[in-house]
Amino acid sequence: MAVLTAPHRKPPVPAPSRGGRARGPRRTPPLVLAFVLVPLLAEAVWVFWPAVQGFYLALTDWDGVSAPTFVGLDNFREMASDDVFRGALGHTVLWLVLFGGLSALLGLAAALLLQQERRGVGFYRAALFLPVVFSLVATALVWQAVYQPDGVLNQLLESVGLGSLRHAWLADQDTALYAVIVPALWRQIGYVMVLYLAGLKGIDPALYEAAKVDGASAWQRFRHVTLPQLRSVNAVVVSVIIIDSLRSFDVVWSLTRGGPYHSSELLSTYMYSTAFQSLRLGYGSALAVVIFLLAFGVIASYLVRAFREAD
Amino acid sequence: MTHPQPSRRQLLAGIGAAGTAALLSGCVTSTSSSKNSSSGAVTLQSNLSAPQAKAAMEDIVAAYGKKKSGDVSLNTVAAETFRTQLPTYLTSANPPDVYTWYPGSVADAYAKKDLLLDLGELWDGPELKGYSKALNSLCTASSGKKVFVPTTYYWWGMFYRKSNFAKWGVSEPKTWDEFLDLCDKLKSKGVAPIGLGAGGNTAWVASAWFDYLDIRINGAAYHRELLAGKHRFDDPQVRRVFDRWRELLPYFDPNGTAGAFQDATTALLNGRSGMMLIGTFFADAAPKDALDDIDFFRFPVIDPKVPLAEEAPTDGYFASARTGRREGVLDLLGYLATAEAQEIYIKGSSGTVLPCHPDAKDAGTPLVTKGRKHIEEAVEITQFFNRDSSDALQPTADTALTKFLAKPKEIDSILTDWQREAEKIWKA
Repeated sequence: MAVLTAPHRKPPVPAPSRGGRARGPRRTPPLVLAFVLVPLLAEAVWVFWPAVQGFYLALTDWDGVSAPTFVGLDNFREMASDDVFRGALGHTVLWLVLFGGLSALLGLAAALLLQQERRGVGFYRAALFLPVVFSLVATALVWQAVYQPDGVLNQLLESVGLGSLRHAWLADQDTALYAVIVPALWRQIGYVMVLYLAGLKGIDPALYEAAKVDGASAWQRFRHVTLPQLRSVNAVVVSVIIIDSLRSFDVVWSLTRGGPYHSSELLSTYMYSTAFQSLRLGYGSALAVVIFLLAFGVIASYLVRAFREAD
Repeated sequence: MTHPQPSRRQLLAGIGAAGTAALLSGCVTSTSSSKNSSSGAVTLQSNLSAPQAKAAMEDIVAAYGKKKSGDVSLNTVAAETFRTQLPTYLTSANPPDVYTWYPGSVADAYAKKDLLLDLGELWDGPELKGYSKALNSLCTASSGKKVFVPTTYYWWGMFYRKSNFAKWGVSEPKTWDEFLDLCDKLKSKGVAPIGLGAGGNTAWVASAWFDYLDIRINGAAYHRELLAGKHRFDDPQVRRVFDRWRELLPYFDPNGTAGAFQDATTALLNGRSGMMLIGTFFADAAPKDALDDIDFFRFPVIDPKVPLAEEAPTDGYFASARTGRREGVLDLLGYLATAEAQEIYIKGSSGTVLPCHPDAKDAGTPLVTKGRKHIEEAVEITQFFNRDSSDALQPTADTALTKFLAKPKEIDSILTDWQREAEKIWKA
């Protein structure tokens, strides 16, 4: 900066934060701006606006053809006395506990088992992850064949002398929901395993070495090193599981459509059948709002707590 | 073969243009008054997705194309998707032009909302003038407007394999008691007497049993009124239907609610079940060589005092009121109403439907001849549960009837629940 060091002149000393020539705030190039604004506009038109409309429709009575009529909170009042809704809510909670809980536990177990780099471990990882690759509807079709009255499962039971347990698995209200959870679980475990594998790879091996030196057993190392280190992954896994539980739809719809007589009905399938089969789109939207609030509420409260603990 | 590679700038411009176009079309859809252009092919949205039916539709479109009167673009959609999407198609700003669907109360519900094209001039034309009075009134909306072009109809009955009945030494029953005897005989031979197929995605098949028992016990007029909400599902008359049905429950295939009707049809053809109450559409998915061995008998009369009614659903087409290709649509519908088009369909499909055109020839098989006589002998014709009521009411029947099949003792609460669910639909 020759100007500043010139001895014979006393130029005004520029403010320390300013350098060189004075200029306005940096302008964002229009292309960059377009890259932000165009997707935002698209998102607003195709995601935010329909979502807002969904909230409005929840306050209306609409058959999908005539103009919606505003009914205030009537749809939500009806929900309070709707047995099918209560049943679907109960099944959704059960689904959250069984599908969510088991996929987290089994996914973590699979990750712990397959985290060591041994010969052939890649094959097992790939095998467990493979169901994630298939579409859930295709998965459901395969499992439908398994559950058929003359399907693989019943034939297997027959061949091992357990013929008395033969069952119309998807047509019996006592077994339909559990029969549907299995394919969903079969798929989810591989996904959760990959999340945990990534988390396990990120743990500093020095921590385990230090624990070993201190004489910690394998269980203690898991309890006091692995689990605390996986806390951030847990937040992701729990969020994913809750969202996946509440939006579980395809596998149930493909296998049972929520039946027989609502015994495997989830909030999502009830919402779909109310809206698009019974053509009560207002009530269906109100159910969608409940699902949204549940997902948002559970995840937000969990994340707030998780981050508070982290602080 | 080489493809020119677009430059980055061209690519960005392309994405921008596509996005803008999509955004603009999004804006267009939000205004309901806009019409699509009158150019281009007439779009024909078809739910006939069974392989033989689909092939027959393609034959019709090809034959129409050869006449050079206009282009048609056939779009076959899976039946269930079609049904749920139909209100969306019809209310969109740029709807498909012509649709396969049903006349009667189903079409009338859309006509009341001004969503269907007025086909009056077509009905005044030479082709449709010769159609029967019954079809004429079936295709007339409550406003008096003609909204539907019927092309084929079919019948429901108790279908069986002739060779199997011969093997088991049984014959067609005429009365309810003979029917129960037949069931006993089949059961003693280790065969499930009655197949159903109300599992999977076809729970609606069970409605046929409700329809038939109701029209045999309470009559077709009561049945139609019940489905229109003029009677209650928990009325004693409806209860009588289920009392009679309960007599038959021991004869139903125990897997009747575990598989779709296609599975039940396979069981029937393989001789694992004896007979099945079904419409002739099941033959579209049956092997051609089995068709000659298929026969049917009339659902047994329960009360001879009740006028004889049969389920004979009519199929055909309606068109969107918002079409921008009115001339093309009327031309296509006019062609579909001809004897030629209906014969092409019958030839290309399993051939178990009957044409609506009085001059059109049916497949001429003994089965079809018997089917025609079967319908002509009926005093009244019903369509089917959802066609005589609405698609929206069908799920309430599916739930009630599958529950009855599993828990017949809970019939009181089942009927109370059914009435409550149906009221929500009627009020909507």
